Amino acid sequence: MKKKRIFWAGLFFLMILAAFVIPYTPLLNDLNRVYGAFLFWNIFALIVIVCLGIITSKWRDLG
Amino acid sequence: MSATTIYLALFLYFIVGSIIARYAGRKMGGGVNEYFLAGRSLGGVVAALTYSATTYSAFMLVGLAGFTYIGGVGALGFELIYLSGLVLVAFFGPRLWLVGKRYNYLTPTEMLGDRYQSKAVAVVSAVAAVIFLIPYSAVQLIGIGALVEGISGGTVPFLAGVGIASFIAVYWTWTGGLRAVAWTDSLQAAVMLIVAVLSVVFIAYRGFGGFGNLFTALESQYPAWLTVPGPGFFNIHAFIGLTLPWFFFSLSNPQVSQRLFMPRSLAQMRIMVMGFLIFGFIYTLVSILWGFSARLLLPDLEVADAATPALLGLDIVPASVALLVMLGISAAAVSTVNSIILTLSSMITRDVFKNIREDSIAHQELLVGRIFVPLFTVLILGFATLRLDLIAALSVASSAGLLVMVPALIGAFFWKRGTAPAVILSVVGGGIVATVLQYSGLKPFGFWPGVWSGVISTILFVGVSLLTRAPENKAEEFIGYLQEELDSKEVI
Repeated sequence: MKKKRIFWAGLFFLMILAAFVIPYTPLLNDLNRVYGAFLFWNIFALIVIVCLGIITSKWRDLG
Repeated sequence: MSATTIYLALFLYFIVGSIIARYAGRKMGGGVNEYFLAGRSLGGVVAALTYSATTYSAFMLVGLAGFTYIGGVGALGFELIYLSGLVLVAFFGPRLWLVGKRYNYLTPTEMLGDRYQSKAVAVVSAVAAVIFLIPYSAVQLIGIGALVEGISGGTVPFLAGVGIASFIAVYWTWTGGLRAVAWTDSLQAAVMLIVAVLSVVFIAYRGFGGFGNLFTALESQYPAWLTVPGPGFFNIHAFIGLTLPWFFFSLSNPQVSQRLFMPRSLAQMRIMVMGFLIFGFIYTLVSILWGFSARLLLPDLEVADAATPALLGLDIVPASVALLVMLGISAAAVSTVNSIILTLSSMITRDVFKNIREDSIAHQELLVGRIFVPLFTVLILGFATLRLDLIAALSVASSAGLLVMVPALIGAFFWKRGTAPAVILSVVGGGIVATVLQYSGLKPFGFWPGVWSGVISTILFVGVSLLTRAPENKAEEFIGYLQEELDSKEVI
C-alpha cells in the first residue's frame, strides 16, 4: 500500500502544481478564449474528481 | 423588495427548519457523542449535504462572484484548487475516522492532544480555532445583515438581519445538536444549489439568450477576464496567497475535519466525499458565471461585493427568484455559522473543560457544551454588530491562521518524531505571524500571510520536534494501528 500511497501523493502533487503554474505560462496566459484557462481548470477539477472516485472505491463498510 | 416580504420569507424558512430540527431533536440519544457527532452514524447523503453546506458559506455567491467580477477566471482556478483540496481527505479521511472510533475522539484537537500526549496541545489548538473562527462567523452574519439591508433598500435594518440569522442558528443547534444541524444543513444545501442553478439559468437566458452568448460576449467585450493575471487582481502572488491556505481547508478547519468522525462507515464517507465534490463543482461554476454575468450587465460597479445584490435588482431576475436567492445565501451563511458554533462548543467542553476538570462526569460535559452554544452565538453576534476592521482582518486571516494546525495534523499520522512543544510553538508562532501580517498589511517578498504562516509553522514544527523528545510509545501504537488496519483493507 505504501507504493500506491506514494504514487497517488506524487500524482496529486504534480496535478496541483500544474493547476497553479500552467494558466500563468505563455501556453494559456494570452489565450482569451473559453477554451483557455476556463476549460483547463474545469478539466483539472474533473480529473481530480475521477481520481478520488477510484481511490475511494476501496472504502467499504469496514470497522 | 418590501420589508414584509423579506420578513415573511425568513419566518417561513425558520419554521420549516425548526420542524426538521425538532424532529431531529426527538431522535437524539444522550451523551456528548450523540449531541456533537450524531452518534457517529450519519448516512452518506446527509453527510455530503452537511459537509457542503458547512464548507460553502455566503462567500460563494457574494465574495467569489465579486472576485470574478474584478479578477476574471482566476477566481475559478482559486475555487477549483480549493475543491481539489479534498485529495487530502483521500489520505486523512479514513485515518481520522478510524482513530476517532478507536479512541472515542470528539474533536480533531482532542486527537492532537492524545497523539502528542499533551493536554496543552489540545487546549492551545482549541483556543486558536476559537480566535480565528469567531470573526469568520461574525462576517457571515454581517453578510446576511448587509444583504437584507441592501435588497430591501434599507427598510430591513442591518441589525434585524444579523439578529434573525443568529437566532435561527442558535435555535436549531440548541434543539437537536449535530443531528439537527446536519438535517437542516441538508435542506439548506438543497436550497442553496437549486436556487443558484435556477438563478444562473434565468440570468443566462434572459440576460444573454443562453450560455453560448454569455461566453461569446465575454470573449469579445472582456477578453482579459478569461486569462490570468488578466485584469491584474489575480497576479501570481495574490493567487498563491489566496489559494494555498484554502487548499488545506478540509484539514485546517475543525468544523470540517470533525465531520470526518461522523459517517457510520467508510462506504458512507465515500458518498460524503463524492457528493461534496459534485456539489462543489456545480456551485463553483454557478458562482463564477454569476460574476461574469455581472461584469457584462453591470460594468460600472464600484464595489465588487455589490455584484450579487445589484444583479438581483435587475429586471431579468424575477422577484420570486431574487427572494429565493436571498434565502439561499442566508442558508449558506447560517449553515456555516451553526456548524462552527457546535464545533467550537465541543472543543471547549472536551479540550478545555474536561482537561481542567478531570473528574467531570458525562452529563456535566454535555451541559457545558450546550451552554457554550448560546454563549458563542452571543459572542459572534456581538462581533458582527461592531463591524470593526479587525474583524474583517481576522476573518480573512482565518484561513492563514488555521493553516498552522496542518503540520501537526500531518505529523500526527505520518511522522513519529513530532512532539508536543513543537505543535504548541508552531500553532502559536504561526498564528501570531498570520494575525500580524494580515492586520498590518505587510507582504514580505510579495508573499501573503497564508504563505508565511504555513512556512513558519512548518519550520517550527519540524525544527522543534528534532530538538525535543517525541512520545514514542504513543506514536508507535497510533501509527502502527492505522497501518495494519488500512493495509488489510487496501486503503491508501
